[in-house]
Amino acid sequence: MSIVLPLDEDQRDALQELLNISMGQAANSLAQLIETKIDISIPKISTVTPNELYGLLFETKDAFYTRQSFLGDIHGEVMSVLSQSGLVEVAKLMDYEEPLTKEDIQEIILELCNILAGACLAGLSDQLELTTNLNMPTLFQPEKSNFSDLQWQHTLVMEVQFIIAISSFSMRVVFCLDDESLIRMKDTLDELLG
Amino acid sequence: MSISVLVADDSKLSRRSVIRALPQDLDYTISEATNGQEAINLLAETTFDLLLLDLTMPEVDGVGVLEYLHDRASTLNVIVISADFQPEKQKIVISLGAKRFLRKPLDKEELAMAMFELGYL
Repeated sequence: MSIVLPLDEDQRDALQELLNISMGQAANSLAQLIETKIDISIPKISTVTPNELYGLLFETKDAFYTRQSFLGDIHGEVMSVLSQSGLVEVAKLMDYEEPLTKEDIQEIILELCNILAGACLAGLSDQLELTTNLNMPTLFQPEKSNFSDLQWQHTLVMEVQFIIAISSFSMRVVFCLDDESLIRMKDTLDELLG
Repeated sequence: MSISVLVADDSKLSRRSVIRALPQDLDYTISEATNGQEAINLLAETTFDLLLLDLTMPEVDGVGVLEYLHDRASTLNVIVISADFQPEKQKIVISLGAKRFLRKPLDKEELAMAMFELGYL
């Protein structure tokens, strides 16, 4: 049985700010690649059960879903939700030619995950001086996944959103951490705040 | 020399880091705003020498604060300190009158250089 370890106000504020900085770096990487402005949300931090996480993923209608695990000083899973809407425009900005094949779409999704989710996690780890290694993303279908298999009852979720203004494309990245990693992260945040 | 500074950022950690990064050669009267609307309210009632402004904030964001100042033809010196440093964003804030754009995490020396260039040091 896992324990819920809420963050105090200062820890939450610090984590939100570190995520904000990481998102800025991630958005800048993609903006340079596609030469287009990307809007970023204020990061949301919450504690959810696997069922609540399932609901969170379905907040975006008609989406593609990827998941990728990460290991290291902290470990967990990154889930990305990419809207189907606007993906063709993003593909054009990435120099793909129409019509897009199934393989093209898969490649674009994985590339976006690598750029945005990867840069976000790298930026966060870097600022916390923690080592993390992110595995390759894989596409998945939440409705066919059994979230009750996850090894935790509650988890810390950090949610960020990227929106490409000139298309209707948006991507949400959800970072899930288990209790053990949360303890490590809280300690690191306390050192930073001390 | 003492200057009045408004630090507008929704993050306490970030406001603290900005205040700590201010060059020690000057005395400061510091006010803090935790979102864009609070910053606008303070700007409406107080005269500041310098605004250190974040962009990603709730209620009204940093661009909203710059638009408020721009609409009033304000000559207040604004240094934007933001994690969102895409070229397009930098163009927008400079067109709205910000004097400098610094990236987060804030580098103390870059802030000192910006303040030197603006004539504070």
